[in-house]
Amino acid sequence: MSPLTYIMGLPLAMALILAVVPSEKRQFFRWGARMATLGSLLLAIYVFSAFDPPITDQPAPLPAQGTEESALENEYGYKFTQRVEWIPSLNIHYYVGVDGIGIVMVLMAALVAFAATCCAQEIRTREKEFYILLLLMTGGILGAFMSLDIFLMYFLHELALVPTFIMIGVWGRGQDKDFAAYKITLYLSLGALLTLAGVIMLYLQFGTFSLLSMMDHATQFAGTEAGAFSATEQNVIFALLMFGLGILVGLWPFHTWAPLGYGAAPTATAMMHAGVIKKFGLFMLIKVALPLLPQGAQTWLPILALLCLGNILYCGLVAMRQKDLNLLIGNSSVAHMGFVFLGIASVTTIGLTGAVMVMVAHGLLAGLAFGLSGYLYSQARTLDMEKLQGLLASMPFWGTLMIMALMAGCGLPGFANFAGELTVFFGAWKVYPVITTIGIWSALVIGAVYMLRAIRTLLHGMKGEQTPEVEDLKHWQRLPYALLVAVLLLFGFYPKLITDKISKSNATFEQAKKGQTPTEEATE
Amino acid sequence: MSKEQIIRFLPTIVLLLPLISAALILLFTQRYRKLSAGLSTGAVAIGLGISIFLFASQGTDNSEAGSDPKFTWLSIGLAQNDSPLPTASGQENFALDIQSLNDPLSRLMLLIVTFIGTLVHVFSLVYMRKDKGFSRYFGALSFFVFSMLGIVLSSNLVMMFIFWELVGVSSYLLISHWFEKPAAADAGKKAFVTNRIGDVGFLLGIILIWQQTSSVNIAYINSVEISTLAGLLIFCGAIGKSAQFPLHVWLPDAMEGPTPVSALIHAATMVAAGVYMLCRVFPIFTDVALVTIAWIGAITALLAALMAIQQNDIKRILAYSTLSQLGYMVMAVGCGGAEAAMFHLTTHAAFKALLFLGAGAVIYACHHEQDIWNMGGLRHNLSRTSITFIIGALALAGFPLLSGFFSKDAILMQAHLSQKPLFIIGVIVAGLTAFYMMRCVLVAFFGKARTDQAKEAHEVPGEMLLPLIILALFSVFLGAPQIGLADFLNLKEVKASHHAAMIWGTVAAAVGLIGGYMIYRNADKDPLPAKLGAVSRWMRDRFYFDELYAFLNHWTQEKLSFASDWFDRWIIAGLGVKGTSGAVDVTGCLIRLFQSGNLQTYALLTVIGLLGILAWILF
Repeated sequence: MSPLTYIMGLPLAMALILAVVPSEKRQFFRWGARMATLGSLLLAIYVFSAFDPPITDQPAPLPAQGTEESALENEYGYKFTQRVEWIPSLNIHYYVGVDGIGIVMVLMAALVAFAATCCAQEIRTREKEFYILLLLMTGGILGAFMSLDIFLMYFLHELALVPTFIMIGVWGRGQDKDFAAYKITLYLSLGALLTLAGVIMLYLQFGTFSLLSMMDHATQFAGTEAGAFSATEQNVIFALLMFGLGILVGLWPFHTWAPLGYGAAPTATAMMHAGVIKKFGLFMLIKVALPLLPQGAQTWLPILALLCLGNILYCGLVAMRQKDLNLLIGNSSVAHMGFVFLGIASVTTIGLTGAVMVMVAHGLLAGLAFGLSGYLYSQARTLDMEKLQGLLASMPFWGTLMIMALMAGCGLPGFANFAGELTVFFGAWKVYPVITTIGIWSALVIGAVYMLRAIRTLLHGMKGEQTPEVEDLKHWQRLPYALLVAVLLLFGFYPKLITDKISKSNATFEQAKKGQTPTEEATE
Repeated sequence: MSKEQIIRFLPTIVLLLPLISAALILLFTQRYRKLSAGLSTGAVAIGLGISIFLFASQGTDNSEAGSDPKFTWLSIGLAQNDSPLPTASGQENFALDIQSLNDPLSRLMLLIVTFIGTLVHVFSLVYMRKDKGFSRYFGALSFFVFSMLGIVLSSNLVMMFIFWELVGVSSYLLISHWFEKPAAADAGKKAFVTNRIGDVGFLLGIILIWQQTSSVNIAYINSVEISTLAGLLIFCGAIGKSAQFPLHVWLPDAMEGPTPVSALIHAATMVAAGVYMLCRVFPIFTDVALVTIAWIGAITALLAALMAIQQNDIKRILAYSTLSQLGYMVMAVGCGGAEAAMFHLTTHAAFKALLFLGAGAVIYACHHEQDIWNMGGLRHNLSRTSITFIIGALALAGFPLLSGFFSKDAILMQAHLSQKPLFIIGVIVAGLTAFYMMRCVLVAFFGKARTDQAKEAHEVPGEMLLPLIILALFSVFLGAPQIGLADFLNLKEVKASHHAAMIWGTVAAAVGLIGGYMIYRNADKDPLPAKLGAVSRWMRDRFYFDELYAFLNHWTQEKLSFASDWFDRWIIAGLGVKGTSGAVDVTGCLIRLFQSGNLQTYALLTVIGLLGILAWILF
C-alpha cells in the first residue's frame, strides 16, 4: 500500500474510532485527533523527503512489464501510486499518487491540519462531533491533493468542504454566524456544483476519470483536430471549472463569503479552510483545467487576469479599512489569492511555479494568522481593533509571532510568501505587464499599509483603556504556532526545497502552455 | 584547506555572524541582558576584524570577485545554476544564487559598516543601559547589521532586493523600539511604507532588466546596454532608501528611534545603501538617467539644507543635514562621479556618526533634552564631548584639511565638469551647511546655559567617549591624500575644475561659518524668523511636504479604499448577494402559490399545461 493511503487514512480511521467512543472522554478526542494528524504529518515529511523522480525532461524508459498507467506515471513523474477499482460501472478508481505539486500541497495540508487540531481547545461543547468533523476535513482534503482520479478528487474535496458549514453553524462565534453559515454554504455549494458539471463534461469527452489517461490523450492530440474536442467545448468546460473553482477560492467578485465566513468560524475551521481547503480550487485549476483544456485556457485566462486584479487591488483596499482583525486577515487572504490567479493566468513555468509557492506559503500563513487571532479571541472575546490596543507589552510571545505573520503577509523576504510572490511577478511580467505593476504596488505598498496599521493599533502604543486583561501563550500552547513560523522561515530562507519538487511537474506546465498561439512558438 | 580557500569563505562569515547572534538573542538570551549585548557586539567586532584583514590583504585586487559558498536559493524549471550569461531558454528557466561578492568596493563598504557598527554597539552599552528592551535592542541591531552587510555583498539584483527589504524592516523595528510611544510607532510605520514606495520601482526595474538581458547578475548587467527606463526604476529604490526628494519625508521622523540607531542606520549605513547601490550598478545608467539622478540629488541637497537652518531639535538638524549630504552624493553619481560619491560616503559616515553619537552624549547628559535652545554653554561641563562634536561639525562644514573638505571638493569638481547649474547649487549647499552647523554649535555649546538641565550636565562615561574620540580622529584624517582613500577609489583629478571647486568650496564654507557666527553669537533666541518672515516658517515646516502627501494620500488611496469598502459592503455583498437570495425567495413564494393544495387549481394548471403542449406540437 502506498504511504499516501496512510496519510489520508489515519485521520479518517481516527474519525471512525472517535465516533464509537463515549462523549465524556474529552481528553481522548483531543489527543486522538492530535496523534492522527501528527502521524499524517510525519508520513508526509517522509514522503516529501523520499520524493525524487527523474527529471521529466527526457521521458524515462518504459518499464518492460507494466500497465499503461504505470508507464504514464513514469512519464508525468508521479510517485507512491496506488490503484484499486472502486465503482467499475463508471470506471471510477481509488487512485492516488503525487507529483511535485501534489507533494508540497500534501505536506502543507498535513502541517496546517496538525496545528489546527492543536488550536481547537477553545471548543467546549460537543467536542466529539467537532473533532470527528475536523478529522473528516483533514482526511478529505489530504486525499483530494493526492487523487489521480478526478471523481475521487472531487468527492474527497466535498467530504472536506461540507464540515465547514456545519462547524460555522454549530460552533461559530459572533452574532452573524447564522448568516455567515448560510452565505458560505450558498456560495461554496454553487461553486462545487459548477465544478461538478465541468468534471462530468470532462468525463463525457475523455471517457475516463483517470487524470493520467486524460493528460495522455490531451498531449497526443494537442493542436490537432483528430480525437481532440473542439475549441467551443473546451471553452465551455474551462469556464465552468474556472468560475466554479474560482468561487471556491474567492475570486473577485465572488469573494464576500470569505471574510465573513472566517470571522464567524471557530479557530480550527478558519485555519483549515483558509489555509488548506481553499487551495483546492487553485490546485485543481493547475492540475486539471490548464493541462486538459489548453485552448479553453487561452480564451479565458485574460479574463481571469482581469478578475484577479479585483482580488489584488480591490480587496487590498478593502482590507485597509477593516476594524476587526479577522475581517482584515480574511480580506488580505482573499487579496493574496490574486497573486496565485495572476501566476496561473500567465501560464509560464515561472508564473505557475510561483503560484504553487504562494499556495504553500499562504496556506501556512493563513493557518498561523487565524490561529493567532483565534487565540486572542479566546482571551479577549472580541477582535475589534479599536478595543484592543498596545498588546505587545502584555503578550510578548504572541505579539512577536503576530508581527511576524503580518510581516510575512506583506511580503517580507525571509518568509516563503516573498519568494512565491516574487516568482509570480517575474513570471507574469511578460504576459501582463500592467497588471503585474499594479500587483507589485499592491503587494509592497497597500499590503504594508494595512499590515502596519494593524501592528500600530493592535500591538504598538500604550495599552488601551478598554483593552481587557489577556495572557500570553504558555509552554506547549506555543508549539503549533512556532511550528508554522519555523516552516514559513525555512521555505523562505531556502525556497529551493519546494521549487525543486515543483520543477518535477514540468510536464504539466508544458502541456498547459500548448494552448498558446503557434505564432509565438514560431518566432522563438 | 589552503589559505586562499579559507579567505574565500571570509565575506560570508562576516555576513552570517550577526544573523547567528540575532537568532540566538531572539530564541534564547532575551532574559540575559549582558549576554545578549555581548553576543551582538562580539559578532560585529569579529566582523570588523575580518573586514580589516580582507581590506589589508587584498586591497584593490579585483581579479577574483566571487567567494564561497555559492548557494542556489531557488531554481525553477530545468535551470540548475544562475549563470551570469543568458541561456537560450533564459526566460522560462530561472535560478537565483546567493553568493557574497568580494571586490574593492564591497571590501571598503564592509569596513565602513562593521567599523561604525562596532562603535555604535559599544556606545549603546551605556546609552541603552536602563532600557527594559535592552536584549531586544541588541537583537534588532544585529539583524540590521546582517541585512546591511547583505546589501554590501550582493552579487545579483534579487539578492540585493532581499536584503534591501530586510534593511527596511530592521530599520522599522529599531525606529519603533520604544513602541509604546505613539510618535515612535508612527515614525517606524512611515519609514517602512515610504521605503516600500521606492521599492516598487526597484523591483519593477529588476524585472525589466531581467526581461531585457535574461540575467540579474550585477557583473553581467554592467557590461550590457540597459534602457533608460529600467535605470530610472532602479534609481527609485535609491530614492526611497537614501531618502531623496520626493520620498525624503521619512528620515527626519526616524529620529524618534534611539540616538545610536540614528547614528548607525540613519546617518552612516542604511541611508548610504542607496548611494552604494547606484555606484554598484553605475554602468547601466544612460545619459538621460544620469542627468535625472543628478538633478534629484541637487534638489534634495538644497531643500534639505534650507530646512535644516530652521530646526531646533539637535537630532533633526543632523537628520536634515544627512538628507542634504545624501543629495550631494547622489548628485555626484549623476555627474558621473561614482568614485567621488563613495569618497564622500566614507568620510560622511565617519563625521556624521560622530555628530550623532555626540548628540546622543549631549542628550544623555541633559536628561533627554533635545532642543538646542534649551542647552547652551555645554562646552564647560562637557568639554571633551564638545571638542569632538565641534570637530565633526567642522568636517561636515568642509573646513580646510579636514576629511569633509577633500570629499566635498571631489564632488564639486565632478559637478563643475558636468553642468554649471549643478556646481552653483553645490556651492550654495556648502555655504548653507557651514551656516547651520555653526548655528547648532554656537547655540548648544557656547553662550550661557539656558536651562537647569544644561547647567547640571555631567561629562559622559568613558565607554561613550571612546567611540567619539576614535571617530573624531577619523573625521580629521580620513580624507587626507596621505591616507590614500582617494587613490584606493581611483579618484581622477582634472586640474582646472579641481581649482575652481577648491576655491569656491572654501569661500562658501567661510561665508557660511562667518555668517553663522555673526548671527548666532550670544543669541538667546533665533533672530532669523524676524528677519526672514514667512520664508523662515516654510523652512521650519519643511515646505509642507508632509501635509501635501497626507492630503494626496487622503484623496487618492484612502478614498479608493473607502469606495472599495463601500462597494463591497453595499453593492457586491448587499445588492448582489441579498438580491440573489431575494430573487430565490420571491421565486419560492411564486411557486408556493401554485402548490396551494387546492385540487381545482391543480386541474386548471394541468389543462393549461396540456393546451400549451398541444399548441407547441401543432404549430
